[in-house]
Amino acid sequence: MAEMFAVTQIPGAETGEIPPSPVDRDEKTAIIYSLVDPVWDIDVLPLTYTNSRWSAFFYRCDEKALRRVLPDCLELEDDIVEFWYVDHNNTMLGPYGEMGVTVAASHKAGDGRTLYAGYYPYMYLTQDSAIDAGRVLGFPKKEAFIRVLEHGGAPDDGYGVMDGKNYQFDYFSFLMIRNGYVIHSATGKYDDADLSAKPAFYGNTDYGRMNMKVVTAPDLSKSEWQLVYLPSTVTKDLATMMGRPDTEGSHRFQVKPESIRTAGPDSFDWFMQATPFDNLGHEMPPKEMIGLMTFSFDLIIPAGEVPWTETYTRDATWAGAAKPYRFGLRHRFPKPIGLGA
Amino acid sequence: MAQLNVTSVPWIDSGDAPPLALDRDKRDIISQGIADPLVDYDIVPLTYTNSRWSAFFYRVDEAALRRILPKCLELEDDVVEFWYVDHLHTGLGPYGEMGVTVSASCKGHDGNTYYGGYYPYMYLTQDAAVFAGREPFGFPKKIAYIVCQEHGGKEDDGYGGFGNDYFNFTMERRGYLIHTATGRYDDAELSAKPSFYGDPKYGRMNLRLITDPSLRTTKWDLTYLPSEVTKATAAAMGRPETEGQHRFQLKPESIRTASPGAIRSWALTATPFDNLGAMMPVKELIGLMSFNFDLIIPGADTLWTQTIERTNEDIGDLLFSTPYQYTMRHRFPKPPGV
Repeated sequence: MAEMFAVTQIPGAETGEIPPSPVDRDEKTAIIYSLVDPVWDIDVLPLTYTNSRWSAFFYRCDEKALRRVLPDCLELEDDIVEFWYVDHNNTMLGPYGEMGVTVAASHKAGDGRTLYAGYYPYMYLTQDSAIDAGRVLGFPKKEAFIRVLEHGGAPDDGYGVMDGKNYQFDYFSFLMIRNGYVIHSATGKYDDADLSAKPAFYGNTDYGRMNMKVVTAPDLSKSEWQLVYLPSTVTKDLATMMGRPDTEGSHRFQVKPESIRTAGPDSFDWFMQATPFDNLGHEMPPKEMIGLMTFSFDLIIPAGEVPWTETYTRDATWAGAAKPYRFGLRHRFPKPIGLGA
Repeated sequence: MAQLNVTSVPWIDSGDAPPLALDRDKRDIISQGIADPLVDYDIVPLTYTNSRWSAFFYRVDEAALRRILPKCLELEDDVVEFWYVDHLHTGLGPYGEMGVTVSASCKGHDGNTYYGGYYPYMYLTQDAAVFAGREPFGFPKKIAYIVCQEHGGKEDDGYGGFGNDYFNFTMERRGYLIHTATGRYDDAELSAKPSFYGDPKYGRMNLRLITDPSLRTTKWDLTYLPSEVTKATAAAMGRPETEGQHRFQLKPESIRTASPGAIRSWALTATPFDNLGAMMPVKELIGLMSFNFDLIIPGADTLWTQTIERTNEDIGDLLFSTPYQYTMRHRFPKPPGV
């Protein structure tokens, strides 16, 4: 008979740090599947981030190219885009790396409001719960191998390096790979230059954030597109639910000014390419590089509202682009082993 | 500053990749982001060739199994399938997979009783396969580190015909070992199998929960995949002769088995992130069966639905954590990604 070892006790369940399985709770509190063991659960909420480190390249993009990546319900507001990496160490979703692109846009809502926001056409993360939690709000997240590194310029004593309060590191390297292909890499040294321009949403509380969520029916007969809007400031409802009424009206994204470092366009090298799996390098190449700004921040992400929807239907004649049991370029890449042991 | 931007997409001109999403009919976009979908229409129809399935069979306490089933399902068997798969040729690319299947039935809204293997747990090694399973169909997939290994028993020259007498399966997530099992096949007759083995009346079932961005509603859909290729799927594939065939084509010549005594080691642990080891411990280990197979996964029917609505107070009840305070479930080794 097999030598068997079974550990049925869940560490942390006895202290109340971990919520019971949704199968043992009021069904109103089940929000994500699987029902017995969701990929993320209510202990993610409220979704807060502490002392994450944001590194944003600013560049101008051809306006026609930008209009192309926006859905029909959005208008372009600025040709400067934000191409960013984030190193998250303290979040309700655990630690992860992230990369994304933000485009300034607006939407005329049916109720007469014009909603301004940074719209996300591309996003990549390093772990599953954060991807799924974001996709519920329409964030277009995929998984990639991401490296975010700042180092050098000043020796340290080993204390205080990993708590994210050291901003003296001068050199940086950012790298993203997916399905074997390098999508982007940039390396350089901060020179703390004044950058000549920033995206329209920087420092402007008119701008929230927007995503386009796609919900496809199990039989593939239809897909509903939902424009999801997140306001930039903490609403009264959110402040009340958090038990922090004092935060009403404050920005959801709190930059730590003392943590800012910048690099002018001559202070870094940049490589970006389109791949068979990811078209960012094709759709949004830089027209004029402006620079890099890095800073630390706290954040809260609330529930979203849906100001626009549209449904596309498919009849029985609709077919995908694959041939049964035949595999092409896009079906061949190094087999991923998962998140790494 | 040196700058290189490679914008060409030669694989589109050659026809090896489909046109960019933004150049197509919107009906051909089945997943977000709309500029570059995570799951695109070149996975459809979703087929698998010569994957290798390794299924441990064991009995579980019936009360434990009833606890993990949604209220719309009835338990049909106490023998469960605890399986790993090594996928090399699929419409989603290569990946490793692990899951658990429980025999269950559902009385559908149409009055019929549907039987299926229900999946309470699933783990995979890459994102497109996870979200192709989750978003339309409801497969409860997470990402984990997975090893499926068979080796030994004979020497080889490097050109095929590799030995496969010994096996090793391992799954880790967030720094914790969830499961490992090792041993050597003895090709024994196994004393029992799950009731869905070889029974075409059993399709497959998942419970999909779609929560809207405001958190005010969650729609529960019990989705159902019949076991046989339907007329519509056969027609959509351009292979009408496949109508009525099983979607899962097992290769009998590839079967290896191991009795409980040939399974050398087995460790299953509950972790703070994954409760499988707590919810489905082994009551009696029956054995292991490994085999190769081809598969097609079609669109799914929906047998049962309900929509949960939430008030402001209900949404407040969802806020389990304290803002900006992090506990053990928020601390684990930072994944570098796949």
